Amino acid sequence: MNQSSSPTDGMTRALRVLGWILLGLSSVFVWVVVNAPIDSVQGIMQKILYVHPPLAYGAYLGFVVTAIGGGLFLWHGEERHDQLAIAGAEVGTVFCSLMLITGPIWARGAWGPGNWWVWDARLTLTLLLWFVYLAYLLLRSFTEGEERTARFASIYGILGVVLIPLNYWIIDLVGGNAQHPENIQSGSLGEGMGLPFLVGNLTFFFAFVYLLVLRWRVGIVRAESERLAYENEAAG
Amino acid sequence: MNVAWALLLKDLRAEWRSRDRLIAMIVFSFLVIVVFQFAWPPMDSGEMLRFAPGVLWVTYVFAAVIGLGRTFAMELENDAMTALALAPGTRGWIFVGKAAATWILISVVQAMTALVFTLFFRVDLWEGAAGSVLLVALANVSICSVGTLLSAMSVRSRFRDVLLPVLLIPTLIPVLAAAVSGCAATFSGEAVPFDALQLLIVIGGVYSILCFLLFEYVLDE
Repeated sequence: MNQSSSPTDGMTRALRVLGWILLGLSSVFVWVVVNAPIDSVQGIMQKILYVHPPLAYGAYLGFVVTAIGGGLFLWHGEERHDQLAIAGAEVGTVFCSLMLITGPIWARGAWGPGNWWVWDARLTLTLLLWFVYLAYLLLRSFTEGEERTARFASIYGILGVVLIPLNYWIIDLVGGNAQHPENIQSGSLGEGMGLPFLVGNLTFFFAFVYLLVLRWRVGIVRAESERLAYENEAAG
Repeated sequence: MNVAWALLLKDLRAEWRSRDRLIAMIVFSFLVIVVFQFAWPPMDSGEMLRFAPGVLWVTYVFAAVIGLGRTFAMELENDAMTALALAPGTRGWIFVGKAAATWILISVVQAMTALVFTLFFRVDLWEGAAGSVLLVALANVSICSVGTLLSAMSVRSRFRDVLLPVLLIPTLIPVLAAAVSGCAATFSGEAVPFDALQLLIVIGGVYSILCFLLFEYVLDE
């Protein structure tokens, strides 16, 4: 694998700026969510809406980053691109897991006891997407040889991102409750709920970028230290 | 192109001589069908017809996983994988040859499974059979293309027998959904639904092109 110059200095600076932005946005987010009106039908449970969709966007973004990192690795063969793909997959998997946890919590609160899960087409296909990225992480841990692992993972990451539009197409074919698009299309956000939703999206976007850059930096530093340790061992 | 043709003939000849992959897939498919008999409550043939697309497609996918697992496993003997990597020309043609051979093998297994299902469960699948064959043939393009690519990767990993289904099955869900939805209509004697057909053609095209291009990076130098 080609070793390129380490961009960790720029990442450290970026992390500092992103950290301050995230801190400010998080404070504003907590304040606007606490002060947002309580939904007359769903009660306090509706406030999960300010967290759940932003987590979904982060999950999809993570999988796109994984594919881009994988594609760049196959093209250039540089380790930093593979580290970007790992960062995208891991942060995307965390966001996807949280999305899949917050959804059922809202469902039980809104639809009553016993309604943790419905076999809504979008919900089910998102769960399958989560399995794709668990498979991606398993592939990484079961494959031997750094270069081969990076190559195979890149291929699977690209294959996985192609599934996103195909899965959305399947939703139209198999139907289902289609709970999610109905909510967005009908403009169901009540008065005073638009701002917390917007701030929630911004906060989680910056949280995603912060975690992505942080994980990317850790990956590059770790790979660099392993390379130095190997060289020292070979020399001495 | 010659590489693809040579590999297709080589794989079919090897299978004809040993028949191990074919027999394993057929026996496995019959067993799954028998297991389903114990898994569902007693029902008449009309009700069974409603379950038939799902049961058959689950069986087809599981049998395909068994067959795909062997696609590159036989190339590990005598380090034939290295010889494949050294073959002249675009490596995508190796993928085409392997995928085409698997397509033929799993099609044979699927036809025999459907025949046994029809005979033993008194379900009439003949009505709309031409449409069903078209759907199965198209779905097999996706299964074989993505399955061949992932088989080449998993065969050189630890826990390869576990890894292949874990990698493959999530990627086949759109194919499975479209095929089951299409077969539900054709088994009832209706025409092939256009949306299922369209989806299978698009998925098959996307997967085939993508896997052809990505196969370049699968074999070690």
